[in-house]
Amino acid sequence: MVRAITALLNIEGLLVYFPYDYIYPEQYSYMLELKRTLDAKGHGVLEMPSGTGKTISLLSLIVAYQREYPLEVTKLIYCSRTVPEIEKVVEELRKLIEFYSKETGEKNNFLALALSSRKNLCVHPEVSSLRFGKEVDGKCHSLTASYIRAQRHSNPSLPSCRFYEEFDAMGKQVPLPAGVYNLDDMKDFGRRKGWCPYYLARYSILHANIIVYSYHYLLDPKIADLVSKELSKKSVVVFDEAHNIDNVCIDSMSVNITRRTLDRSQANVETLQNTILKIKETDSAKLKEEYRRLVEGLKEANVARETDIYMSNPVLPDEILQEAVPGSIRTAEHFVGFMKRFLEYLKSRLRIHHVVQESTPQFLKDIFEKVCIDRKPLRFCAERLRSLLRTLEIADIADFSAITLISNFATLVSTYSKGFTIIIEPFEDRTPTIANPVLHFSCMDPSIAIKPVFERFQSVIITSGTLSPLDIYPRILDFRPVTTASFTMTLARTCLCPLVVGRGNDQVAMTSKFETREDFAVIRNYGNLLLEMSAIVPDGIVAFFTSYTYMENIVASWYEQGILENVQRNKLIFIETPDAAETSMALEKYQEACENGRGAILLSVARGKVSEGIDFVHHFGRAVIMFGVPYVYTQSRILKARLEYLRDQFQIRENDFLTFDAMRHAAQCVGRAIRGKTDYGLMIFADKRYARADKRGKLPRWIQEHLTDSSLNLTIDETVQLSKHFLRQMAQPFKQEDQLGLSLLTLEQLQSEDMLQKIAQIAHQA
Amino acid sequence: MAALSEEVLLVVKRVRQRKQDGTLYLMAERIAWGPEGKDRFTVSHLYADIRCQKISPDGKAKIQLQLVLHTGESTNLHFSNESTALKDRDAAKDLLQQLLPKFKKRANKELEEKNRMLQEDPVLFQLYKDLVVCQVISAEEFWANRLSINNVDHSLSNNKQEVGISAAFLADIRPQTDGCNGLRYNLTSDIIESIFRTYPAVKQKYGENVPHNLTEKEFWTRFFQSHYFHRDRINTGLQDIFSECAKLDEKGLKSMVFQGVKNPMVDLLSLEDKSLEEGYGSNSTAPSTSNTNKTVKENSNSAIIKRFNHHSTMVLAALTLCMALCTIIMCFLSKMSCHFYVIEYEDLHRENGKKTVALNLKKSDRYSHGPVPLLPQQYTTSQDIVNSVNCIKHEIASYKPCLTQVMSSSTASSAIAALSPGGVLMQALAQQAINQMVPNDVQEEMKHLYTAAGELLRHFWSCFPVNTPFLEEKVVKMRSNLERFQMTKLRPFQEKVQRQYLSTNLTGHLEDMFQMAYNKFHAWQTRRMMRKT
Repeated sequence: MVRAITALLNIEGLLVYFPYDYIYPEQYSYMLELKRTLDAKGHGVLEMPSGTGKTISLLSLIVAYQREYPLEVTKLIYCSRTVPEIEKVVEELRKLIEFYSKETGEKNNFLALALSSRKNLCVHPEVSSLRFGKEVDGKCHSLTASYIRAQRHSNPSLPSCRFYEEFDAMGKQVPLPAGVYNLDDMKDFGRRKGWCPYYLARYSILHANIIVYSYHYLLDPKIADLVSKELSKKSVVVFDEAHNIDNVCIDSMSVNITRRTLDRSQANVETLQNTILKIKETDSAKLKEEYRRLVEGLKEANVARETDIYMSNPVLPDEILQEAVPGSIRTAEHFVGFMKRFLEYLKSRLRIHHVVQESTPQFLKDIFEKVCIDRKPLRFCAERLRSLLRTLEIADIADFSAITLISNFATLVSTYSKGFTIIIEPFEDRTPTIANPVLHFSCMDPSIAIKPVFERFQSVIITSGTLSPLDIYPRILDFRPVTTASFTMTLARTCLCPLVVGRGNDQVAMTSKFETREDFAVIRNYGNLLLEMSAIVPDGIVAFFTSYTYMENIVASWYEQGILENVQRNKLIFIETPDAAETSMALEKYQEACENGRGAILLSVARGKVSEGIDFVHHFGRAVIMFGVPYVYTQSRILKARLEYLRDQFQIRENDFLTFDAMRHAAQCVGRAIRGKTDYGLMIFADKRYARADKRGKLPRWIQEHLTDSSLNLTIDETVQLSKHFLRQMAQPFKQEDQLGLSLLTLEQLQSEDMLQKIAQIAHQA
Repeated sequence: MAALSEEVLLVVKRVRQRKQDGTLYLMAERIAWGPEGKDRFTVSHLYADIRCQKISPDGKAKIQLQLVLHTGESTNLHFSNESTALKDRDAAKDLLQQLLPKFKKRANKELEEKNRMLQEDPVLFQLYKDLVVCQVISAEEFWANRLSINNVDHSLSNNKQEVGISAAFLADIRPQTDGCNGLRYNLTSDIIESIFRTYPAVKQKYGENVPHNLTEKEFWTRFFQSHYFHRDRINTGLQDIFSECAKLDEKGLKSMVFQGVKNPMVDLLSLEDKSLEEGYGSNSTAPSTSNTNKTVKENSNSAIIKRFNHHSTMVLAALTLCMALCTIIMCFLSKMSCHFYVIEYEDLHRENGKKTVALNLKKSDRYSHGPVPLLPQQYTTSQDIVNSVNCIKHEIASYKPCLTQVMSSSTASSAIAALSPGGVLMQALAQQAINQMVPNDVQEEMKHLYTAAGELLRHFWSCFPVNTPFLEEKVVKMRSNLERFQMTKLRPFQEKVQRQYLSTNLTGHLEDMFQMAYNKFHAWQTRRMMRKT
């Protein structure tokens, strides 16, 4: 009993098991806010720097809540962004659950599992050896689709996946035994039982207590409809690393159509037509059956949605569910004819010589005038095509991705009159001589994709290390949070050192502003900064540029000026390339060079893959240099349309949004280097514009706090001096005792009254 | 003739030494000179013995080469073939220049090593003085054992440590204009080595073309002119011999990329769980535009970037030896441990200080007093022990105190008092007394004696079990060494102690140790005798 008390935290009456001996004060505040959010059954926005144990705080509180109120919260859906992060979360969860069973002494009946794409879960020896996710999906489908399996009854020589067959025969009878299953555990279990881990996981999420998977399973309507639509309403959804969630939403709803897409769709339509003819000769009953079903309409889905079993799908709007498929596309031939007409129309739209931008109603009006296509059948396109593909028993859906894309576009364009724009560009801006027409159907309103999530689940938590300014996310995602809070990192020593370098030693202002970015002096000063830093910073330095082309230009001119050769005297240089495989290798070598003491510099790009997904802990990143302010490319028409929409719809000024967007990416980049309280690193903002209040104020609080007036608008020399001082200080031994009581608390300390007050004070500054 | 089996690197005729004509031979290991018409060498020096060579100034009439030995002696060689004297001398000089450093290193390394060890370790130095300088044992014997201890790291340092490559070696060749429309590149053998190791393709080209097609100078001139060296220049000449190198590099890079990365945390390809399908997304412009419509400028820029990545990778790979090991370890650690250390917040855990193993002594007296001499005793079989234990058990079970013969309580307590610390019987044992009694210099000397004796005994005992003739010989020698040590060192010390009227027997333990060694030796010898007879 005495033991139990020491391991328990009391969060406003909720007893929480925390699997560590110590706790950071901010973790305590974080759990407090989280608990209040869950109590209120509302949504929350919580910002806490990475490396302060966000994940474990979230998990331990929600698990405790689930155990305490099993009827209020039945499931935790934890969404993360990358596969390694998903696995990390599951490992932390495993630790927590093990701690539970150790402390309580009883066997846990928790089921927690990670779900990922087939590529990461497949155990079929041939299929899993394929390199790309798309290939794996296609191959799997060709072995496991229902009609393929039906055909196998008459023709047993057809290839099959024994794992799927076993799972189908046995796997659904007994639920997955309680425990924590990471991706590899799922695979092991599947191999042992001979069951397909992917389908087992997909089946098991329905009754699991905790699911960890990636954003797409909830936000991408195409996938969410397959995987997540039956998840319980009483779930808590957590979006971790959510600083980019609006872009994920927008991406999942946007469509680009090129000439190539149309050509491939054309081919698809031909295939469909041929198959229909063939079937008509042999098995016309099948088509009749389909027709009957379509008359019935999508009643089944409608009933399910009304009784709250299904999550709504933005591609499958409510209205269609109540109606039967319109007569004009009900028979297979008619539908194919309809699609042909639609394709011809799109082709004609792509034959243009100037940029066209129009709203969806304009587009619909135009299509009605030109080819007499009504709005209503268009809306049923996606559903109708799916039904047809099912009826025709087409094995490899992947081949039909082009026509599926077109039909999704048709449904979306006819469903939403607001929040979307259509831009047809005859060529790329950089190469006006080469015709490459593209139709961008671009979503401007991220709230469309995420709306079903907010509506369906009782609590949605949006959290990340960098969410500042906090008020903007509820506005652009269009929801009303019950809690918004930003927690800072309590530190026993200032282990981060943000510096704004505004000038070179020659007093020429340093900035990546468009007018001066190609200026010789600016490039030289940037080079000098890198050179000086390479001489004083130990091990790894990561430098971020605002865009890939900018980096290419700068690297080329640094090469000409011999700057890079001098940098090489101090460290090895690795550079991110557009090719992911090449960059992975460069990254690995970079880490190797940091590891063996050689020291290295990684030149990288904000908004690139490195800046989003790779952490540079400890000596892998002792300094981050942000060259310039990473504004998005503002000349893009899609962006302009989106800015306009934000202004009209949400009253967000263009400049505010652009700055917000630039600063969150800058914060992401520099935040890569600090991954905990024992870590330390320099954050160098190399642009004079960072010194301005409007930019500085949009940095996360935990960075802003340490950005003093004396560290603004420095010259390179001053920066070097400050950095040297900082690095020497940080290199001193740092022991646990130094942190204790300040940024690290024992659980006993947490029980004292004045400590709680102090914590509350810190939290309320937010 | 022995000389025949050696490899002769250079023969120079008509070289005079001490006014005598003869022939100079440069062999793999030594330099030798024999007078004309005789087939033996009157002068022969190992390269290792030569400290340096000196040559006469260019303008001098006599063209000479002087070899200075480590011993300080020197040998003058006069090249007297009028027409080719200078050339001959230079040929010999050049060859020597190449050979000498190699041997110099080898010879000095051992000496240096010994010197270093003596300097670093004062105890060893004292030991050396005691044993070698006083000629108790020979220097070789002394080192034989020492160096073998260090054999492990010796063998490592033996095969020349690989030197890494400076990442900026290309920067060091920075061309300088020589003022008349030319460029000068600084190229040293180090840089060439670096280039070869970083760009194996260049090495291959070098092997193919030099010296058959191109001279070395031409080769490097072409190299610096090539597009390969100036990646930002656009490829123009197809006759460029290095255009192939670029392709080879590219291939190498590709294969490395294809192998993929081992650490899943940095694998960008598998980072995304579910990528958007083609055609979806806001800024996924079609990939068809990747290569075709890139401008020339952009192409050269991306070539530079590729080059930097490749360069750094190769420089890194040059540290292969130790790195190979690292990567293997990395492989082992691979996936699971990656997660492991990433999710741990080390500072949230209670530090449980390093656990040390407590020294567990069963018999602490043996630890503080050293081993007791093994007296010839009778071994008891386990059966005997069991029997005696039973016997004792039996005795105890039937034990009846014989109260009539017990001491009176007063005598008992006085006996206990006498045996307790501070009591009459315990006084002489106080350790402090000896510390204070014995003067410091005697203590100091005794320490030296102990280390020296310990060293000798170590040599002695390390011979057992004696199973080779070499060890046999050594053990005999060591015994005489021990005796000599006892005579020359221990005796005088004993006498000195006696002269100072120190009552305590300071050298008792030392003598015991020697005695034990003698006993062992004796036992071994008698056994050997018996076996022989």
